[in-house]
Amino acid sequence: MPLLAFIFRRVLQTIPTIAFILVVTFILVRLLPGDPASAMLGDRAIDADVQRINAKLGLDQPIPVQFLYFSKAVFTGDLGNSIGLKLPVIELISRRLPVTLMLTGMAALIALLVAVPLSFVAALNRGGAPDAIIRGTFQIGLSMPVFYVGLVLLTVFAAKLRWFPVGGYGENFLDDLYHLFLPATTLALSLSAVLMRNLRAAIIGVVGADYVDFARAKGLRARVIMTRHVLRNALISTVTLFGLSIGTLLGGAVITETVFAIPGAGRLMIEAIYGRDYPVIQGLTIALALLVSFTFLLTDIVQAWLDPRVAR
Amino acid sequence: MNTLVKAALSAALLVGTSYGALAVERGGTLKYGRYADSLFLDPVLNDANVDIWVLSNLYDTLILPTDDGKGLKPGLATDWKVSDDGLTVTLTLRDGIKFSDGSPITPADVQWSLKRAADPKKGIWNFLVGSIQDVTTEGDHTVIIKLKNTDPAILAALTVFNTAILPMKAFEASEGTTDEEKAKSFSAHPISSGPFVLKSWDHGQSMKLTRNENYWAKGEDGKPLPYLDGIDFEVIPDDATRILKLQSGEIDGAEFIPYARVDELKQADGIDMKLYPSTRVEYITMNVRPKIGDKDNPLSNEKVRQAMNYAINKEAIIQVVTHGVGSQMTSFMSSATPLHKGDKPLYPYDLDKAKQLMKDAGFENGFETSLLVLAGNQDEIGIATAVQQMWGQIGIKLDLQQVDNPSRTQQYRDGTFTMREAAWTDDIADPNEIASYFVYSPTIGALHSGWKNDEADKLFEASQKEIDAAKRADQYAKMQDIYNSSGPIVPLYETPYPVALSKKVQGFVQIPLGNNIFGAAWLQK
Repeated sequence: MPLLAFIFRRVLQTIPTIAFILVVTFILVRLLPGDPASAMLGDRAIDADVQRINAKLGLDQPIPVQFLYFSKAVFTGDLGNSIGLKLPVIELISRRLPVTLMLTGMAALIALLVAVPLSFVAALNRGGAPDAIIRGTFQIGLSMPVFYVGLVLLTVFAAKLRWFPVGGYGENFLDDLYHLFLPATTLALSLSAVLMRNLRAAIIGVVGADYVDFARAKGLRARVIMTRHVLRNALISTVTLFGLSIGTLLGGAVITETVFAIPGAGRLMIEAIYGRDYPVIQGLTIALALLVSFTFLLTDIVQAWLDPRVAR
Repeated sequence: MNTLVKAALSAALLVGTSYGALAVERGGTLKYGRYADSLFLDPVLNDANVDIWVLSNLYDTLILPTDDGKGLKPGLATDWKVSDDGLTVTLTLRDGIKFSDGSPITPADVQWSLKRAADPKKGIWNFLVGSIQDVTTEGDHTVIIKLKNTDPAILAALTVFNTAILPMKAFEASEGTTDEEKAKSFSAHPISSGPFVLKSWDHGQSMKLTRNENYWAKGEDGKPLPYLDGIDFEVIPDDATRILKLQSGEIDGAEFIPYARVDELKQADGIDMKLYPSTRVEYITMNVRPKIGDKDNPLSNEKVRQAMNYAINKEAIIQVVTHGVGSQMTSFMSSATPLHKGDKPLYPYDLDKAKQLMKDAGFENGFETSLLVLAGNQDEIGIATAVQQMWGQIGIKLDLQQVDNPSRTQQYRDGTFTMREAAWTDDIADPNEIASYFVYSPTIGALHSGWKNDEADKLFEASQKEIDAAKRADQYAKMQDIYNSSGPIVPLYETPYPVALSKKVQGFVQIPLGNNIFGAAWLQK
């Protein structure tokens, strides 16, 4: 069972990565200028109040002591309370992260649904008009900033045509999907362009390969050749790219969530950074690091499944 | 003159809309888009404007501010009297007032709430009622406040959010051992004394308020306020999105409209673009210490500061940055702040005078200095680049340093900044708050600038106890003269609060202190 052993090895490798991220985040956050009390109290705060609050939060302790408390808390599964919102960090994350997951998941799905068929059309009509049109459109999509695309979609499809709500989040699953359609499409645009470019090139490469010629010579049907031989082989590099893009997608979610007023983890992170809300920044970093590590793990597994040589 | 005509016209229009043919209609939920969510809705322990500006809808105070923010009107108390020696305030509570759970609001609740607000160990706002020594009660309707010293601002302080009345028993019975823990669990399911009650709160997304069925105030139709069934606050941080939501009818009101969009929204169908008078002032703070780090600081020279003031064409900045929405400052405190003095713009643009002052100060060839700008904030960047070009004309080379807010605050607090942009809004209808931060050096060293003027400090201390209104006004006039002529700021402009409402919304007001008052708001069907 080389695949199972491979998965086990990869999971073990994730542990030091996450520990490293924890330490780095802890240090980086404390290297940032400004402290939570000043951020909370604003410009008017008098020194006594700032000192009082920092002492209450234990931030007057030496950094190593703070790190010990923090590590202990993480190992006991308690990420502390948000300094600004005064709510448990776990509660905040468990409420906000699913929103972001749904947004990025939807975006990833839309990107795939767009990129895969269009890559085929473009690759099989290489140099022709459909290829030029598809490539041109995606080139534009790739070069436009996310917030701009978001605002354009909002203005046209929400404010003018009123097909979709301008922003916010729904009351139930279907309503959520409806609310998230425009923001997910915004996010999906640049990802689908990246995937398309890669997949198109891969398909062109594979279509010309000897084993495809051989399959054709054997008289296999075109559909079988396309799915079993061309797609499977062309997907190997695209899967890697897709997995790596999840990090970028989460980054894009931060902007998209702000433009579309979606209460997700991205927006929580931005607010926490501005408020120097250390426990929230740390908690979210852990959660996102776990998430990205998990995606990479999944990517590797899929890759190993597509190409058994990887698992060896 | 022009301004006067405009003011008269807008006053006439205001009267026209509020007392016109429209009869109030009850019911409905008003949806309001906020730029940021509240953090903690306890009147005493909160720290930020995002809390302060909605608290007045949940909790009533003994006295309420008038809609212009300057006067007083009865709240939970119908009557109040300050003794001749100025050391005792006696208040009479309204008959039959109840909390939202139906229990009576008693003098004991008032006593407890005021003592909590004045406790120096609780919250950052206790200084507003720092003069309170003791609070006692008499019978079912009387509350007596004893003061440590005379305090001319005490009545204004009794309209401020931190003196809101909470139910003592319910609060004390809340989960937790410390006051802060109790405040946390109480404010999750609060029992209100104001027009609305918190129904649900999804932090970062929405806050829903519903009407307090036991509220004391009566509407124009003789029935209890509020007219609305509820308010839904939606958090929409992006300016453009907030406006789009209003335009698409998903919300009924949106706050913090960017100045650049005000004119467009004034023309828009179905939208009522409001500019509520405010106490907001925008200015540049200068560090006036002789040395910053180990470098000599030209800004310590009063003549240099004056030159820099004269060299700025404020009208141009008002046009460019606020699209004409702002107006020139006539004192460091806004014209909506009580005891404000001044009728002509400070430091009218005069390049020749500026150059002469630079020469007199020995800086004919100018110097290099820097300004902290909030990264990504278009207004600040706009001001900074305009100022950079204007100061260039008197030989000052300005380096713009874009930083995030906590970094800026850190440099500001440490006194290591050179210059920074800032804005201020009063929380109390009295000049003592702004003066204590801008002028009086013991509070935060005159905006951490290092500026100190003994006469101004003495005037402030005296004004804090002076109960003769005329004498106090005179003290503030002198304080403003001193500060305006030598203070550590470059006054830029004052601006109203831009709020865009659907034409259906009536009776909403944002007072100059920023509080959003929905108590008498209603929706036209």
